[in-house]
Amino acid sequence: MDFYYGLAQIVGVHTLLGLSAYIVLLTGQVSLAQAAFFGIGAYTAGMLTVLAGWQIVPALGGGALVGSATACAVGFPALRVKGLMLVVATLAFGEGVRLFFFNFDYQVAKGGIKVGPLGGEGFRQIRYFPEHGWTTGEVMLFIWAFVLAAMAALWWFDRSRYGAVLRAVGEDELAAQSVGVNLTAVKVSAMTIGGAIAGLGGGIYAHYTTHIEHSNFNVLVATFALAYPIVGGLSNVFGTLAAVIFVQVFLIEGLRDLGDWRNLLFGALIILAMNLRPHGLFGRRSA
Amino acid sequence: MLDLLQAISDGLLFGATYALIGIGFTLVFGVMHKLNLSYAAASIGGAYCGLLVLKVAAGAPAGLVFFGAFVAGGVIGWLVYVACFHFIPLSNPLATLMSTVGMLLLIDEIIVHVTAGMPQNYPAMFDDVMLHVGGYTLRGDLLLVFFLSVLCMVGLLALLYRTKLGLATRAVSQQAVAAQLCGIRVARVNAMTFIVTGLLGGVAGAMIGAAVGALSPLLTAPLTVKGLIVTVIGGLGNIPGAIIAGLLVGGFENVFQLYRGVTERDFYVMLLLFAFLVFRPGGLFAPKGSRD
Amino acid sequence: MLELKSVARHFGGVRAVDGLDLKVAQGEIVGLIGPNGSGKSTAVNVITGLFPLTAGEIYYEGQALGRVPTHRRLQLGIARTFQNIRLFGQLSVWQNLWVAQNSPSDRAHRGFLSRWLGGQKGVRAEIAELLEFSGLAARQDELAANLSFGEQRRLELARALAAKPKLLLLDEPAAGMNHEEIGQLKERILRLRSRGITIVLVEHVMELVMGVTDRIAVLNFGQKIAEGSPAAIQNDPLVKKAYLGGA
Repeated sequence: MDFYYGLAQIVGVHTLLGLSAYIVLLTGQVSLAQAAFFGIGAYTAGMLTVLAGWQIVPALGGGALVGSATACAVGFPALRVKGLMLVVATLAFGEGVRLFFFNFDYQVAKGGIKVGPLGGEGFRQIRYFPEHGWTTGEVMLFIWAFVLAAMAALWWFDRSRYGAVLRAVGEDELAAQSVGVNLTAVKVSAMTIGGAIAGLGGGIYAHYTTHIEHSNFNVLVATFALAYPIVGGLSNVFGTLAAVIFVQVFLIEGLRDLGDWRNLLFGALIILAMNLRPHGLFGRRSA
Repeated sequence: MLDLLQAISDGLLFGATYALIGIGFTLVFGVMHKLNLSYAAASIGGAYCGLLVLKVAAGAPAGLVFFGAFVAGGVIGWLVYVACFHFIPLSNPLATLMSTVGMLLLIDEIIVHVTAGMPQNYPAMFDDVMLHVGGYTLRGDLLLVFFLSVLCMVGLLALLYRTKLGLATRAVSQQAVAAQLCGIRVARVNAMTFIVTGLLGGVAGAMIGAAVGALSPLLTAPLTVKGLIVTVIGGLGNIPGAIIAGLLVGGFENVFQLYRGVTERDFYVMLLLFAFLVFRPGGLFAPKGSRD
Repeated sequence: MLELKSVARHFGGVRAVDGLDLKVAQGEIVGLIGPNGSGKSTAVNVITGLFPLTAGEIYYEGQALGRVPTHRRLQLGIARTFQNIRLFGQLSVWQNLWVAQNSPSDRAHRGFLSRWLGGQKGVRAEIAELLEFSGLAARQDELAANLSFGEQRRLELARALAAKPKLLLLDEPAAGMNHEEIGQLKERILRLRSRGITIVLVEHVMELVMGVTDRIAVLNFGQKIAEGSPAAIQNDPLVKKAYLGGA
């Protein structure tokens, strides 16, 4: 049973990662920076529980907050960079953040041993859940409470005027401007919300894996974040969830017997999926 | 001072390979308005294939290995075109972007599997030749890298500006629909673009292998990032820009390494990118605003 | 209501608009005609703020617009339609109108949360009225990309009206329309005027321009070469020369 709980945990966290890219994609911004916000949230939340002794929920809030603040700061210069250049810029930003964590040392002595991030070795001993006696099942439910909340929030946005405005900006910025939409406010707000969701996901990730390091937030993870909403389709949040389940459950677990060949098949499968269903599993509404 | 000049000259010479990678990215963008994120990986892949020459004929001269890489690069380029661009409607940039990401993963993994993750030695030419100019040294093998890369660039420019294919390519990059109406087979031009950039990429990969002395799958990610940086600094779609930017990035990279060491070097190259994005998003030779 | 003083917009060496003076009084319907390339669309683009001015100034309700951004100009009451329709194809007819619902009066009556995160109920009445006006009520849930050309044109106009503009700039709204459709468009424009909206009509289709405008300004090479009533313009030799060329 623990195995399935573990799988559900991974699906949950990856869904948050995918959703953070989803909302930004709606505005037409292709961002490879979501893994960076994820990592920032992870380190922040981890440091808050381990070094500052915070409770888990406020710590996750802290991770989400720092993630969203960073995303907001990135959102403004991102406005100056159009289309595919943004992909490059966010890719570089993501790498920059990873390199930062690779060099980041902040250790504090607690009860005789040193804890905290240690550069290339990463941040070990994020043991909030075990120390407080949480079972795998409880952690899973905890994670999914947040995932469902995030999905509900984004689903609500999609049905509100904000959602229509986001998509209008994604489709035609010039027309959107001409009907009164403030592009800056819309694009930066989407980026900020994406950063909050990613930061939240990162904080959760740090606590259930108990050990994080720079390579957990690399280009590959950034592309996973993008792949989920693209492969799932941008019509609604369920596309992203479906893509996560498809990738994690079928590909990674289902093909477990194929061992090392999984990544290879993942690459091949993305190529196949994009050729067969360019608009994603859940596609667009029609036209 | 001598160290600085040495670092710059070594960097410039090596930067020619970055220029080739940058050209590959920028040419595909110029012609198809799409980004092929698997390009750097494909280049390294081509270089690996060059090593197959040694499997078949152990002790073959390095030049033959380079030629093998050249040819393999072209083949891989064509395969990338077919898998990622030929069937996906061009109006869907996200899908093609994602498929090139898939291709990047695929190529990376194939390399890891075939070589069991072990770095492979790469032959070099003239690595025992050292030219001494004034107080500093020009490595023979780096000079060859530079020379071969320049040869490729000249060849490409000749292709683009002196041949019918080049003319067709430039036409498609400016107005694909109108080009079609003039009888140009756009699909063929696109495929040729990938083959040509693939050929260049194979050489670039081989040159990198020769200059470093070995190939490893770990090279693909940093090379992808650097290639993209070169493309952005040179201006998307701007070939002369990519050439100059490649040399610049190579030079700066070495200078950063001289003063701040290897681990921080990449961080500074990144800062260089951000400086450009903020102050000159159109690249070094940004065109003035136009009517549209 | 609107005044352009020596307005110029250059693109490098191309002087799309070059020293244009134009006055539009409140409640007027002013036509802007001229051969292709005369600067009509560019004029609309600088009035709405999509391009900054190279020289001159634009006054709206007495205030200089300066570098006020496009979306703010919409909130001040300046709306436009596009020559080559720019609808949000992947959004429904209803959503296209909803996105544009952002007028000052709207903002005064409804709070931030309600306007942005609220559902469709609060604005149902207003949007329904727009749909009625444009004859699109039956198609309200259809994706804009699936509409017929005529329906798309009507939606383009309705969307410009959604923010309750005071000044409406129509960029070649009759292009590709048949006689009957032009008649309907004429009627709609007159109804808009009776609601108090000032209209600037950029157009090639003379049937519409002559039939609906109070005054016409003629552009050529970015400058105004003639201005007057429709009848006067029809007989003006300079205008004929500009359109037909030659002696």
